[in-house]
Amino acid sequence: MNATATITVLLDGTPRELPEGTTLAVLVAELGHAPGAVGTAVNGRFVARAQRDEHRLASGDAVLFFQAIVGG
Amino acid sequence: MHRDALPHDDDPWQVDGVRLASRFLLGTAGYPSPQVLREAIAASGTQVVTVGLKRQLAAGGDNGFVAIVREALAERGARLLPNTAGCRSAREAIELAMMARELYGTAWLKLEVVGDEHTLQPDPVELVEAARTLVREGFVVWPYCTDDLVTCRRLLDAGCAVLMPWGAPIGSGQGLLNPYALRTLRERLPDATLIVDAGLGAPSHAAQALEMGYDAVLLNSAVAQARDPVRMATAFRRAVEAGRGAWRAGVMARQDFAVASTPVAGHPFLIGGAP
Repeated sequence: MNATATITVLLDGTPRELPEGTTLAVLVAELGHAPGAVGTAVNGRFVARAQRDEHRLASGDAVLFFQAIVGG
Repeated sequence: MHRDALPHDDDPWQVDGVRLASRFLLGTAGYPSPQVLREAIAASGTQVVTVGLKRQLAAGGDNGFVAIVREALAERGARLLPNTAGCRSAREAIELAMMARELYGTAWLKLEVVGDEHTLQPDPVELVEAARTLVREGFVVWPYCTDDLVTCRRLLDAGCAVLMPWGAPIGSGQGLLNPYALRTLRERLPDATLIVDAGLGAPSHAAQALEMGYDAVLLNSAVAQARDPVRMATAFRRAVEAGRGAWRAGVMARQDFAVASTPVAGHPFLIGGAP
């Protein structure tokens, strides 16, 4: 039986195991977010919504999601 | 809606080709409830409100505040001004700005790059670097800066649309701590759009800034933390209008000595002199 290869990313500082080849778009959907409701950054760099489908995550990637909030 | 909260359009100013009647920009953080925020926005007559971005934690949410802001602005035709609060470097601010533009759908950006954790003073070096990059990327940059003239010139040279020097540290409510520096900016940068941002606590502070010839003020805590934020938003709106009116009217010059306002020549004196 072939085991599915996995990667481990840091999602907001917490390790999360994902199937190898997971894209950022898939991760956003898996977490239940509407694509337009969050901003995404990987390893400190902004990843535009239009690029999430092509952005494959790798082990060790630090992924952050951002949301709109009130501010001064 | 507060009928008298609609801004008067006989003295507009503009940023990025957008004509604005209200000279009162309002922050949206720290209000006791979304409803109070909504009413404060209406009472202020503001046409520009600031918003932010934060890392989304697992149980994150904003309790409906952002939705209220968007509804209130849709009703008033006002605009959002996202900020890069919390950023400590130009790189961080640039990345967050890109995200803000995508999330909020606007190129307007209140650029904040903090240089000191205690005072939250802007880092002038990182701020100018970030401004240069973001202007090149098509942002309309509203930099939150100190009252340093040279830094302000660098920000204008970088293409910033306005300058937003602090009155006092964010949230301190101390008012205009260095009026000399603020007046100097106004005098030395006569063509720049100047907005006092941060540290205002009382409506009199806002009036003082507008009396000096500043084009607008931006404040948050002074309204949000008032006992009655909605009433305070009204008070600030009136103070901004009063200060602007005073500037346009021409405030009298200060004197170091008394100058009698009642003419005394020819008046009889009761004691001494000819009967």
